[in-house]
Amino acid sequence: MSMESTRSDKSAKRSFNNNRNSASSNSNSNPSNKKKKTSQKTLGVAWGSNSRSSSRSSFSNSPFSNFGSYMVEKNRKLQNQFEAEASTSSHGGSGSVKPIFDGVSIFVDGFTVPSSQELRGYMLKHGGRFENYFSRRRVTHIICSNLPDSKIKNLRSFSRGLPVVKPAWILESVAVNKLLSWVPFQLDQLANNQPKLSSFFTLKRSSVSNSASTHAPCQVNPEAEDSSLKVGTSGDTYFSEVSEPFEHRKQISRESDDLVNENSNASLVEETAGSSGKPCEVAMGIPSNIDAEDESSVKNDLQSSHYQPTALVSSNCINNQNMKGSPSSMVSEPSNQSHSTLGDPNFVENYFKNSRLHFIGTWRNRYRKRFHSLSNGFNCTSSNIKASPLKTAIMHVDMDCFFVSVVIRNHPELLDKPVAVCHSDNTKGTAEISSANYPARDYGIKAGMFVRNAKALCPHLVIFPYNFEAYEEVADQFYNVLHKHGNKVQAVSCDEAFLDVTDSEGDPQLLASKIRKEIFETTRCTASVGIAGNMLMARLATRTAKPDGQCYIPPERVDDYLSQLPIKALPGIGHVLEEKLKKQNVWTCGQLRMISKDSLQKDFGLKTGEMLWNYSRGVDNRLVGLIQESKSVGAEVNWGVRFKDLKDAQNFLSNLCKEVSLRLQGCGVEGRTFTLKIKKRRKDAEEPIKYMGHGDCENLSHSTTVPVATDDVEVLQRITKQLFGSFHLDVKEIRGVGLQVSRLESTENSKQGLERNSLKSWLASASARTEELCKNSHVAKESSNRGCEGEGDETLGQLCGNSVGLSIQMDSNTSNGAACLNEVSVLPPLCHLDMGVLKSLPPELFSELNEIYGGKLVDLIAKNKGKTENINHTLSAYSHEKIEGAMKEGQAARLSSMVFQNEIPVENKAEQHIAKEVLAVSGAESFVPASGLKKTDLIPSSLSQVDTSVLQQLPEELKVDILEHLPAHRMQVFSPNVLLDPTEIPLEALGTKTAENNSGSKDFVLDNNLWVGIPPQWVDKFKVSNCLILNILAEMYYKSGSTGNLSPILQRISSVSLHQLDAFQDGWDEAMYILCELLKQYIKLKIELDIEEIYVCFRLLRRFAMKSELFIQVYNIVSPYLQALVGENYGGNLHMSLKD
Amino acid sequence: MNLVVQRARHPQLRDYIHSAVFGLLPFIQKGMVERAAVIFFNTDGIPVERFVFKLAVNLSYGSKVEEADLEFSLRSFLIKLSVSESLTKVLPRNYRWEITAYFRSLPEASANKDVEQWIPTDTRQWEQPPLLTPIKSMSSEPLCVQLYIEHPSLSEPKPQNGEV
Repeated sequence: MSMESTRSDKSAKRSFNNNRNSASSNSNSNPSNKKKKTSQKTLGVAWGSNSRSSSRSSFSNSPFSNFGSYMVEKNRKLQNQFEAEASTSSHGGSGSVKPIFDGVSIFVDGFTVPSSQELRGYMLKHGGRFENYFSRRRVTHIICSNLPDSKIKNLRSFSRGLPVVKPAWILESVAVNKLLSWVPFQLDQLANNQPKLSSFFTLKRSSVSNSASTHAPCQVNPEAEDSSLKVGTSGDTYFSEVSEPFEHRKQISRESDDLVNENSNASLVEETAGSSGKPCEVAMGIPSNIDAEDESSVKNDLQSSHYQPTALVSSNCINNQNMKGSPSSMVSEPSNQSHSTLGDPNFVENYFKNSRLHFIGTWRNRYRKRFHSLSNGFNCTSSNIKASPLKTAIMHVDMDCFFVSVVIRNHPELLDKPVAVCHSDNTKGTAEISSANYPARDYGIKAGMFVRNAKALCPHLVIFPYNFEAYEEVADQFYNVLHKHGNKVQAVSCDEAFLDVTDSEGDPQLLASKIRKEIFETTRCTASVGIAGNMLMARLATRTAKPDGQCYIPPERVDDYLSQLPIKALPGIGHVLEEKLKKQNVWTCGQLRMISKDSLQKDFGLKTGEMLWNYSRGVDNRLVGLIQESKSVGAEVNWGVRFKDLKDAQNFLSNLCKEVSLRLQGCGVEGRTFTLKIKKRRKDAEEPIKYMGHGDCENLSHSTTVPVATDDVEVLQRITKQLFGSFHLDVKEIRGVGLQVSRLESTENSKQGLERNSLKSWLASASARTEELCKNSHVAKESSNRGCEGEGDETLGQLCGNSVGLSIQMDSNTSNGAACLNEVSVLPPLCHLDMGVLKSLPPELFSELNEIYGGKLVDLIAKNKGKTENINHTLSAYSHEKIEGAMKEGQAARLSSMVFQNEIPVENKAEQHIAKEVLAVSGAESFVPASGLKKTDLIPSSLSQVDTSVLQQLPEELKVDILEHLPAHRMQVFSPNVLLDPTEIPLEALGTKTAENNSGSKDFVLDNNLWVGIPPQWVDKFKVSNCLILNILAEMYYKSGSTGNLSPILQRISSVSLHQLDAFQDGWDEAMYILCELLKQYIKLKIELDIEEIYVCFRLLRRFAMKSELFIQVYNIVSPYLQALVGENYGGNLHMSLKD
Repeated sequence: MNLVVQRARHPQLRDYIHSAVFGLLPFIQKGMVERAAVIFFNTDGIPVERFVFKLAVNLSYGSKVEEADLEFSLRSFLIKLSVSESLTKVLPRNYRWEITAYFRSLPEASANKDVEQWIPTDTRQWEQPPLLTPIKSMSSEPLCVQLYIEHPSLSEPKPQNGEV
C-alpha cells in the first residue's frame, strides 16, 4: 500500500479536524471529549490508524470508541507524566532565569544520537516539552538525524512547515546554556531543498533568539562586575587577589610541567593568567599591565605582586603585601578575615595552596604520571610474580616525618628538638599539627593535635609553616633515587613509595640500606624501609623500621609478626572497623585469624571481609605498579567555608570550578558527570572547636550529566551554579563544598581523534620510516648505479654472472625474507614515497633513469605493435621534461612515447643497448627498498623480474646466454614475491605500464599486500591498468567512500552494466587472475573477524556472475578457496545457494 | 543504547535467559568462551538451527574501552539481528532450545560457583559440516562478535519428522 496516498488524504482531513475541534481539545479534562471524534491526530499513528479507526470494529468493546480517542487519552497521559517528571527534575534553583527551552516542544523522529529518551531528559531539565506523537499544534521543532527519501520529497506534508533540526541543536544549546538559533542545525538533507523556506524562518526565528541571547549576558555581566568591584574596594583583601593567583599559577605550572602533556604548560599558564587577570581588568581598567604580566614569566610573581598593588591600590594593602613578602607570613598572619571564604575572594586558591592534603594528593598523581611511562616492564613480569609469590621482594620506602624533616634540614640545631609543622602558629592554637618529628612525638605530640594542646605538652615546641617548594625539591630527589634502583616504583604519596625489587640482584636488605644512604645523602632527610614478600607486609615492616631504619620480614616470620599486631595497624582498618572488631573482642591480627572468612564476610561485607581475612594472614595480592585509573577528579573545601550571602557562595563556587578545571586539565581528562557535595551545618550544631572547621554536618549531594565531556571553566561554573541552585539552601549554613567530576574521558582521545586508530598512525610512521630508509639507501643506490654505469660497456654476460651469484645468495636468505614479510606487508603504497626519492636524486642520475624508463616504454609499446624493427632512436633524444610529465601521468607518458615511436625508427643495436641498460639500472633500482629492508634478498628477485620484461627484447643469443646462467628456479623467485612489491611500484609510478606487458600477470605479483595501506595497493594498481573492469573497481573505491571494505565497492559496481565489461578481450586472463588474487587476499584478511563482509561480497559476486562471464570464472575459482577457509575457521560451509 | 530490544514476556523464561547470559559474563570477560550458541532442536535432540555467536575478546584492553564505538557496533548488531527473521525457518511445535557455550578450555568446577550452573550438554551434532549464513559481524575493540546461523547441510540425513 502506498503511504503517500494515505497520507495526503489524511492531511487534508486532519487540518480540517484541527480547526473544528481546537477549542474543545484544549480542555482535556472534560470527559465528554473522549467520545468525540478526535482532533488530535498524530503523524506517527495517523498513517496507520486513520483507516483502522474507521474500518475496524474491534474498538467497540474497549473503553475507547475508536483509535483516535484512544490516542487522545494516551497523549494526555504522556503529557501529564512528562509534566510530573519535569516538575521534579528541573533545577528551578534560580527562579528568575527562564529555562533554556522555554516554549520549545520537540518531536523526535527516528534514530538519533543521543537517543530520544536522552533528548527527552534534556527537555525535562531545561523547561522544554517533548511530544511522543507528532502534532502540528503542539510541536515546535522536529528533531531527527536522518530522513528517508520519501519524507524528504514530501517534506511539507511530513514537517507541516516546522523546522527539522539535528539533535546537536539541543545538545549545544544545553552546552552554552541558551537557546541557539536552529538554522545552522537544520538537517543537512534539507538545507538545499528548500532555501526559501529556511531563509524565511531564519529571519523570523533568529531575531527572537538574538534577543534572548543578548538578554543572557546582561544578566551575567553585572554579577561579574559586582564581585570584582567588591574585590577592588575591600582593600585589605586585595593583595591576595593579585599575588595569590600568580603564586598559585607557579605551582600549577610546575606541576603541569611534569605531567605528560608538554603543550598544556603554556596554555595552562595563560589560562590562569587570563582568569585571574580578568577581574582586575574590570575593576582597575589597566589591561595592558596585566598582559605584560602574563607574559613575564612566573618567576616574577613576587615582583609583579609588588608592582600591581602599589600602582593601583591604597596604602593599607601595602602592609599586607609586605607581610606576605616575608617567608613566615603564613604563620604570623593575623587576619582572620582572609582565612574564611568571607573575606578572601581567592580563598579557594589559597586554600589549596596551603593545604597539605592537597599537596600530597596532587603529588601522588604527579609521580605516578611521571614515572609510569618508564615502567613498561610491568605487564610481562607481573604474571611471573603472581606465579611465585614466595620469591618476590617488595620494598616500602617512607621518609621519616617528611614534612618536618624537610623543613628542618637547614636547621641542624633543631635536629633533636621537638618540631612540628602546622599551617599556622596562631596564638589561639586551634590549628592542627600536621606533622611532628620524633623528639616531639616523645612528648606525646601527634599529627592532628591542636597546637594549643601540643604546646601544653611541650612548651618549647618549635612550629614551622609548610615549605612546599622544599617538599617538591626533596620529593623529586627522593623519587629519582628510587627510580635509579628499580623500574617498578609505585608512588603512594610524595614521600612514600613501593618498589618491586624481585628482579634486582643481590640481597634486598643491602639494596635497602644503599637506597637509604643515597636518600640521606641527596636530601639530608632520613627514610625507613620495610622489605617483605608483598606490599602489605612491606608496609607493616616499615612501621617497625621507623625511624631511620629498615626491617625485613621473611615469609616464615609473617605469622609471628602478625599474631601480636594490633588490628589498627592493618591498612584499611579505620576507627569504625576497629570499634566493630573490638566489640567482637578482636584486638590483634592473631585473634582476627580465628574468625572464619564466611562470618567476616557476613559481618563486614564481601570485600571488606575478604580483605580482613587476607590481611590478618599477611596475604596481599596487589602488584606493585598496578594503579587504578582515577575515576573522578574533584576538589573539596571543608574548612573555612562561611558565606554571607548568595553572591559569596557563587563567587566561591566559580573559584572552585577554576580549581577543578585546572585539575582536570592537569590530569588530561574531561568529564561528563558533575557532582556537587555540600556540607550543611546541622541545626543544633555549635560552632566547631576547630577554628573554621566544618563541625557537625549533614552531607548533601546533587549531580548532573552533560552530553559532551568538558573541562571548560565556564561550563563547569554554569553547571555548578545550576546544581547549587537545586539545593535550595541557606548559604549561611554551608560548611563545606566539593565538586567532583566523573565519567572521565581522556582529552587526548577527544581532541586528537581516537587512539584506536593507532594502526593508521602506525602506518604513517611506517611510511615515514621507509621514506627515511629510502633516503639512506639513496647513497647505496647511487653507488650501485655508478657501478653499473662503469660496467655498462662490459659484456652482459658478466652482469648476468653477478646476478646468478646473488640469486644463490638469495635462496639461502628466503627464510629471512619470510621473516620480514610482515614488515613489508604493511608498507604503504610507495608511489608517493619514491617520487620523493627520485626528486632527491642528482640530476644526471635522474635524467638517466628517465631515459631508461622511457626506453622501456618505447620497447613495450613497440612490442605490442609488433613494429620493433621500425624504431630507430638514440635515447638521448628524449627530452627531460617530457618524461617527467610522463612520470606524473602514465597515460600521458604512453601518448608521448607513442609519438616518438611513430617518428623514430630504432636499430637493433640501439635496442640491445637499451635492454642492457634497463637491466643494469633496474638492478640498481632494486637497491632502493632492498637496502632499506634486506639488501641481498631483493636483488636477484627483482633482476629476474626485469628479465621477464626485457629478456624477450634481447637478441636470441643473448637471451640464451642469460637463461643459461640463471638457474631454473627463476620462476620460484616469484614465491617470496612480497619483497618484490616495493620495487614494483616505483616502476609503475614512473608510468611503466606493467599491465601492457603480456607477461603482465606475472608482473602483477602474487604479493600478499594488495589490501595494505590507505588506499589499498590494488587501487593504484588497478587505476593504471588497461582493463576496464579493474579501472572501474579502482574508481569505485573512491566513489564508495574509501572505506577499505570490498562490499561497498561491489555494490556500486552492481549498478554498472556488466555486459559491456565482458566486451574486452585483451588482458582477460590477467584481469581474472588479479581479481582472484584480490579476493583471496581479502578473504584471508577478513575470515577471522568479519565473515559477514565476505558473505556480502560473495553474494554480490554471485549476482555479477549471472551477467558476466568474467565473474563466473572468478567466482568459480575463488569459491572453493573460500569454502575451505570457512570450513577451517567455522567448521561449516557458507550458505551460497541461489534459492534466496 | 537508543534501541528497541525484544524480550520474552514469560517471567520464568525471561529469568532463564537472563541468568544464562549473565552466567556467561564472567567467562566471556576472561576470554574463555569461544562461541555461544542458541540451539533449536527437535524432540530427538537433533539440532535444526543454531544461532552461533562467535566471540573474540581482547583481554589486554583493560578499561580503555571506547564506549561510543562499542555502542555503535552493538547497536548495528542488534538491529541486524532483529531483521534477520527471514533467514530462519518456521519451526514446528514441540521443538526445544537451549543456550550452549563452547569454551576454549573447561573451567575448573571448584574455582567458583558460577561454573556449577553449567552442565555439559548432550545435544547431538550434525554429521556433515553445516551451512552457515552470516548475519552480522562486528569488530570493535576489545570485543569482536560474529553471529551466524547454522543449518544442517543439504546432504545431512533428514530427521524423521514425527510431529506436525
